Amino acid sequence: MAKKPKPTSIIDSIGEEIVRIITPVSTCMFLVVILVTILNTNSSDSPSSLNTIATVAYNETPSDSTWDKFKGALLNSLVFVVVVTVTTFILVLLFYLRCTKFLKIYMGFSSFVVLGFMGGEIGVVLIKGFSVPIDCFTFLVVLFNFTVVGVMAVFMSKMAILITQGYLVVIGMLVAYWFTMLPEWTTWALLVTMALYDLAAVLLPGGPLKLLVELAISRDEEIPALVYEARPVSYDDELGGRGGVVERRMWKGGSRVGSDIGEISNSNPISNLESDSNSTLGEMLAPLVQVNETRLVVSEETSELSVPLIDQRANTRGQEDDFAVEGIGLGSSGAIKLGLGDFIFYSVLVGRAAMYDFMTVYACYLAIIAGLGITLLLLALYQKALPALPVSILLGVLFYVLTRFFLEVFVVQCSLNLLMF
Amino acid sequence: MTVAAGLGYVLLALGPSLTLFISVISRKPFLILTVLTSTLLWLVSLIAMSGLWRAFLPLKPTVWWPYVILIITSVAFQEALRILFWKGYKRLENILDAFADRARKPRLFLTDKMQIALAGGLGHGVAHAVFFCLSLLTPAFGPATFYVDRCPRIPFFLVSAIISLGFVTIHTFSMVIAFNGYAEGKKTDRVFVPVIHLVAAMVTLINIFSGGCLVGIPLLYFITILTLLHCGRTVWRRLTENQSRPE
Repeated sequence: MAKKPKPTSIIDSIGEEIVRIITPVSTCMFLVVILVTILNTNSSDSPSSLNTIATVAYNETPSDSTWDKFKGALLNSLVFVVVVTVTTFILVLLFYLRCTKFLKIYMGFSSFVVLGFMGGEIGVVLIKGFSVPIDCFTFLVVLFNFTVVGVMAVFMSKMAILITQGYLVVIGMLVAYWFTMLPEWTTWALLVTMALYDLAAVLLPGGPLKLLVELAISRDEEIPALVYEARPVSYDDELGGRGGVVERRMWKGGSRVGSDIGEISNSNPISNLESDSNSTLGEMLAPLVQVNETRLVVSEETSELSVPLIDQRANTRGQEDDFAVEGIGLGSSGAIKLGLGDFIFYSVLVGRAAMYDFMTVYACYLAIIAGLGITLLLLALYQKALPALPVSILLGVLFYVLTRFFLEVFVVQCSLNLLMF
Repeated sequence: MTVAAGLGYVLLALGPSLTLFISVISRKPFLILTVLTSTLLWLVSLIAMSGLWRAFLPLKPTVWWPYVILIITSVAFQEALRILFWKGYKRLENILDAFADRARKPRLFLTDKMQIALAGGLGHGVAHAVFFCLSLLTPAFGPATFYVDRCPRIPFFLVSAIISLGFVTIHTFSMVIAFNGYAEGKKTDRVFVPVIHLVAAMVTLINIFSGGCLVGIPLLYFITILTLLHCGRTVWRRLTENQSRPE
């Protein structure tokens, strides 16, 4: 008896874009946690004081009182945010003056520095820790090749998408690991202040990121920044028959824009050059999140299929909006793009949680993914530039505090008595 | 005791869930999102309970009756959350059906609904295993092991992994039974799930007494097998009913 082919159900395809962005974020966080666990047990002594832009105001020592640490951490993060703001404004200026080539070259240069020096340093520590039998010439050649391919992946858009994605995740991981080496209070204060700054920079009328987004929209150009692009999802139905598909470009502001460009040039004179290569990395990767939505087309049915999570209200609103005529893109199928800065700060939070215990890691991971989901839903609802950091970071910090002070005691108490529910 | 042992404990507690995840859930992105949501929900309920009980902990090791109250309150809270989860799922089902109608695709099949219930249950189970077993396994990756006084014959990590395996199974499949019960309106299924949960949690109370784990763990597995059988029977019945009544 011939079996009738089962018609595909809708839950086969809904939510695929979200999963395609959650996977690399999770991978990056996982790699950072592994790095933190391995490298912090190998060198079990307390981290040496880092001389970087983030600790220029105050260097935490274990003997300070809590209030001192708190004040010092706030001071550090304020300095950091000021530097970031200045740099972002410089970036907006450069973008306005159409110095795109300069920005792209600087992007490549900064990827080279991150992959080459930071990657090399971590490679050396791993080799020392695991006593891998490799000589320095082989190591140098391998490292050089690795770095060059990474720079090309960032520069050229014709590279295989998996390689580009892989390299972006590696760059995010390396920068995030560097950030976790900052003292504890500074890291937490930095995360919270960056989340608040992100909120301000994207939503306030004078914010640099808002200006950047508006500039890019009005010129219909892509911002040259390190941005992770998920593989686009293809829908194999009525979309093929649609002739004039009007595409809209939706923007979702990430962290500060501008990859490591201005930051590296700024941090060099300020930070101390005699410490290890860490000083050159007083930067933050801060690309913008662009959500390229082919989805919000004029016709209702295709839009429904393409944006399954958008509420019905949002769809009707999208049709009336004159936004639809702007930004007529071509062929670039909708794929969610997430800025690398978001990757980095999520991973920093989880890496810091890993330095305490694994329970906080799991709790913070779930909080961050929940925040990311909420941000994507808000984006679908409001359809304008939204910052990706605040919700996740604030949820993550909240869950960290709750887990560390409440959950751990409870679970350990129950578990040690073999009492589970 | 070394990375191999640590990995072994992890796989012991989470092996079947991993298999389920790879074979059933990872094919449909929506189910992955369901697993993540229900894991988060379970974590939130656990944090709420720990917030509530923080003032009373740590409990003295000799008395055992506060643990009874602890268990009853925690299980009651989690079952209440399950009902909330069901309500949220109903609303989601309506949205999905409306969306399917507009997109001219078939509505949710019975197997889809069961898969969503399974994903929800798996999320609960994985959350349990992660927070009660995995997060305490960090020392197991090192060079030594640990024994608890009350169960001195088996390493603590092994015992907690075995108990977690039982609970993961119970959580996963009782969600399927529960959703079925709420959907069909059967009183027995609706009552079955909270009762099983409470009984299983109470059974672990036996572990508090010295040498209790020799009795407690087999009892727990008896309950697990009971849940599995009941779930299998319910699903089989639903599917054959559905088959004989083509819509």
